This record gives sequence, structure tokens and C-alpha cells, in this order.
Amino acid sequence: MATMIWMEEITKSYRLGENSIPILKGINLNIEEGEYVAIMGMSGSGKSTLMNIIGCLDRATDGLYILEGRNLTTLNNDELAYIRNQRIGFVFQQFNLLPRATALENVMLPMIYAGVSKTQRRRRAEEALTRVGLAERLSNRPNQLSGGQQQRVAIARALVNRPALVLADEPTGALDTQTSEEVMELLTDLNHQGITIVIVTHEPDIAARTRRIIHVKDGLIVG
Amino acid sequence: MGKLGRIPIKKISLLSVLSMAVEALWSNRLRTSLTMLGIIIGIGSVIAVTSVGQGVQKATEQQIQALGTNVMLVLSGAARTGGISQGFGSATTLTWEDARAIAQQVPAAEAVTAYLQRGGQVVYGDRNDSTSILGVDLNYPDVKEIHPKEGQFFTQEDMDNAEPVVVLGSKVQSDLFTSGEPAIGASIRIQNGSYRVVGVMEAKGSVGGQDQDDRVYIPLTNMSSRIVGNNAINGTGISGFWVKAKDQVQLEAAQFQVTNLLRIRHNIYPPNPDDFRISNQIDIINTFSNVVGLFTVLVSAIAGISLVVGGIGIANIMLVSVVERTREIGVRKAIGATNSAILQQFLTEAILVSLLGGAIGVIIGVGLAFISAQLFSFPFVISLWSVFAGLALALVVGLVAGVIPAGRAAQLDPIAALRSE
Ligand SMILES: Nc1ncnc2c1ncn2[C@@H]1O[C@H](COP(=O)(O)OP(=O)(O)O)[C@@H](O)[C@H]1O
Ligand SMILES: [Mg+2]
Repeated sequence: MATMIWMEEITKSYRLGENSIPILKGINLNIEEGEYVAIMGMSGSGKSTLMNIIGCLDRATDGLYILEGRNLTTLNNDELAYIRNQRIGFVFQQFNLLPRATALENVMLPMIYAGVSKTQRRRRAEEALTRVGLAERLSNRPNQLSGGQQQRVAIARALVNRPALVLADEPTGALDTQTSEEVMELLTDLNHQGITIVIVTHEPDIAARTRRIIHVKDGLIVG
Repeated sequence: MGKLGRIPIKKISLLSVLSMAVEALWSNRLRTSLTMLGIIIGIGSVIAVTSVGQGVQKATEQQIQALGTNVMLVLSGAARTGGISQGFGSATTLTWEDARAIAQQVPAAEAVTAYLQRGGQVVYGDRNDSTSILGVDLNYPDVKEIHPKEGQFFTQEDMDNAEPVVVLGSKVQSDLFTSGEPAIGASIRIQNGSYRVVGVMEAKGSVGGQDQDDRVYIPLTNMSSRIVGNNAINGTGISGFWVKAKDQVQLEAAQFQVTNLLRIRHNIYPPNPDDFRISNQIDIINTFSNVVGLFTVLVSAIAGISLVVGGIGIANIMLVSVVERTREIGVRKAIGATNSAILQQFLTEAILVSLLGGAIGVIIGVGLAFISAQLFSFPFVISLWSVFAGLALALVVGLVAGVIPAGRAAQLDPIAALRSE
């Protein structure tokens, strides 16, 4: 199996006045294509920081990061935007849907930046929403949907550009147990279809649904 | 290595950008329309002013054409400084003899025509019309460049015998006679006298606020003896006379010569005031043009200021909008929007607001120009050029106003943006 994520000695520090505060202190990480991984750790341990670097939303201060064989440390902002658009799907704890847009419009959005034609956009967004069980909710706005439904719209948005990697930072953090189950089922299903999935969570029974658990503590992977 | 190969630069379709901008503006309708106000006022005034300016210019040209640039008007009555005449022409100080002397003795004067004017009623059958009655001499058609379209002007014989003959202005003809009814040869009544219609003048329209067609012409001799009654001490009293110079250059010389000759004939020596007034068409038109020019400068200044203020307004609102939509910008970046895509989106919104304001401004400007044209009766002229210029101006304002907010949006850090509330 080919390597999806390859990280060597990734560090990240934030500047606070004159001090530089290290958050990630040398991450070495290898995730293969098709893996289903949970990242666990205490609040403030650097999980989101790591996810943002994996997702090309942020750059490491130092270290090597190779995604699908491509050295991301050398890419410019536009190229990173392209990777985010084409290869990666994001799912956030707070859903992060555009409040004024309908479910369909929200799901169509990534394809606008991919240059997909309008009819294609519509067809593929409908497909994605059907896949997450929201075929009846196309024209609902986020405030007309339950939390679970909003997260499923976000998942549809994440997979509509057919990414190789889906990153979910505490996707069930804002959901009750029942809807968490549904969301996890969806993610598991995506993994079965070959998409590599990385989830951040601090709920053991959520982590238990994945096939590999990585523990982060104080900016380091501890097993 | 990579199975992806080179990373292509994706371009978002213009239609998507436009529809996103429209959607964003529409969802904030009230704010959008308030933002447009400055641009609406600015572009509206630009359009209105250029249109009114062109209309007045055209009216002026028509007036020069109609009056001739080489004629001046000499009126009875004292010149009054610091006030527009209190009824100049009412005191009869000029005589027909003055006019004839000028025709003979002023070299720069090519032709002179005297007239005596009163308001009065003309009656034909059971129809009557309140109009101006002009007693004129035979030079009138030549000097004023107005000629009969039917029949003829009166003759030397009519003049010598003070014949009761009349030439109708075209409006009076249409007021008194139904179409097809022959006017020539008909008998109409003017102040209890019966006059035979010998001609009808061609239509000239309005010149200097006076309808050239709403009047009738009778021989000056008849006017003086039968309608007005002569009240001049020596000679035949007249309201005034027109002097036609050989050309426009000669007009100034003619004015000087006429002034001198009249002073001599009327025994006027400085510092005694003249008992006549000379009004020169070019002077009138120049004064008018100056007023219009001043007005144009004034309104253009207002337009300029409101465009600048409008631009600042757009920039301001766009900055607020960028702050409000920080999270949206973060989401868009997370799902793959490049910085330039974000820049494009906000710039498009700014330009769209401005262009929309410009378009509304054009419509309002055209409306204002139309209303003023009706109100002050000058031709309504709207040039495509000014419409394009107005829209181009709006586009530039939107572009300039949008650059800073859009740049700020594009440079937002996606993580910080996503974390913002
Ligand atoms: N932009 C930033 N500037 C300074 N400190 C930051 C910034 N972002 C995150 N941090 C700090 O980094 C640490 C790790 O944050 P995060 O990765 O969000 O943790 P987790 O997701 O594991 O809870 C926290 O202590 C947080 O305060
Ligand atoms: Mg976190």
C-alpha cells in the first residue's frame, strides 16, 4: 500500500511577543492509503494544530511533510489551496456551513473552486447529499437542519470533490450519542470505499470505531 | 513521483463569481442600497448635468441660428442699471425716423426694421385669440429671416396707404382657422377694425422665450395710426428696431455707431442717461452660457464629492462586511478557495454595488434631465457617451473602493478566520 501521509520531525511554534511557544515538538507520522485513524489526547495537546498542518490549512515551522508523494513544504499558497480543494475533505466540530446558503449550495461550493460546470455541480452535490441521506433536504438552510443533519451536509461537502483524505476534527463533539453514531457510520462507510480518514476525538468509544489510535501529548506522539 | 502531476491553476467561472456576489448583496439588501446612495447621487448628477448642458448648448445654437449672430435690438426707454427693465419699450422714445436714419447713416448696418408692438385680441367668426400685434416695416422678413409660407408680405403700397392688411403667425392661423379652411383673403377683426389676411408666416418656434408664431403683422403705418395712436413728439413712435450688421464682426462697430447717432439725434450728452437700450444677441447668449457653465461646474463639483464619498462608503461597508464574514472566508479557504478567488469575490461585490448604483444613477439622471428639459423648454439631449462615461466612472470607483477590503479578505489566515466567531 502507498503512503498517504509522511511526516518527519514536524514542529510548530507560535510567537507570543518575544517568546516562541512550541506546540508541536517533533511529530513523526506515517499513515497509509485507506487507513482509518483516530488522534486522541488532552485538550491543548496540539491535535488541532497537527490536523491543520495535515490539512494544508497551516504550515509547519520545521520538518518534512509529504502527502501522496508530494513534498508540501515546497508548495505555495495557491498550490496548497488546490490540494485542499482536490485531495482533502474537512469536517469540523462546528460544521462551518455558510448560514445563508442552502444544503445544496453549501455542497456545491468546493466545486466552484474546482471549476466544475454548473450542471455537474448540481448533479454531484445532489448525489453527495443523497449518499449522506439528505436527498429530501436540498433546499434547507443550516438553521432549518438539526446538528446531525448539518454535520452530514458538511460530510457531503467534504467528499463531493472525491478527496483521497478526509480530516474530521472532533466531528461528534457537538452532537448527542445517537447522531454521533450516525455520523461515525457515515465516516466508516467512506473508509470502506477506500478514503483515508483521520479523526480527532477524546471519546474512547468513537476512537474504538477506527482501526488505529494515535495518542498525542504535549506536542509529541506517544504511541 | 506524484500521481497528480503538475498542479494546475483553476479558474472560477465569471458566472459563479457574479452569482456569489449577487447572492451576498441580495442577502443584505438594505445595506446594499444604502451603500449605493452616494454613487447614485454622483452618477445621477453627472448624467443630468451633461445632458442639461448639452440641451442648453443645443438651445443656444438654435437661438443663434434663429436670431442671427449679426443682429441687435434697440429698444425705447431708459436703460436701467441694476435691474432688468421695468417695462422697457413702454415709453416711446424711439421713432421710425431714428430707424431710417440709422439705415442710411450707419455704414456697418446692412438693414434696419422698426416695429411697434401691443398685445391684443384678433377675432375670426366666433373664434378669437389673444396675441401680439406687431406693426412692422417692409424690411422685417429680411432682417428677422422669417418669410410667408402662404400668400405674401404686405407691399410698399399697403404701407403708404396704411392698408388694413394682416399677415398671420402660424399659431394664430391654426388658432383661428380649421385645417383646410383658407386663411388668405379672409377678414379678421383687430380692435374693431376689419383686416384682410394677405399672408401666413412660416413657423419659427420659440426664441428667447417668445413664441415667434403667436403674433400677427400689420403695416407699421396702420399700427401707428389705427391701433396705438401716435404719441411721439416728432415722427412715428415705435417700440424698437432691429439692426442687422453686415456680419458678426461688424456688429460691435454697428452698436457703437448706433449709440452715437441716437445720442446725437436725441440730444443726449453724458452724464445724462440714454433713452434707449441696445441688446445684442451674442451678449445675451454669452451671459446665458456663463450661467449654464457656472451651474455645470457647481453640480460637477457636487457630483465629484458624492462620488468620492460614495467610494469611501463602499470601501467602509466592504471592510465591515469582510470582518463580519471572516468565518465564511475561512470556510471558503478551507475547501479550496485561493487568495485570488477571495479577492475576486469581494472586488466583484464592490464593483457590482457601484455599477448598480451607477446604473440607477444613470436612470435618475436621465429622468432629471428630461424633467428640466420640459420645465425650462430646451431640447432633451442624452448622449450614449455620457451614459458610458457614467458607468465607467462607477466601475472605477467600485474598483478603487474594493481593493483594500478585498485585499484584506484575501490575506486572512484561514485558521484564524475559522476560529473567529
Ligand atoms: N494561533 C495561536 N497562537 C498561539 N497559541 C496557539 C494558537 N493556536 C493554538 N495555540 C495553542 O496551541 C495549543 C494547542 O492547541 P490545539 O492544537 O488547538 O489543541 P487541541 O486541539 O489538542 O485541543 C493550545 O495551548 C493553544 O492555546
Ligand atoms: Mg482541537
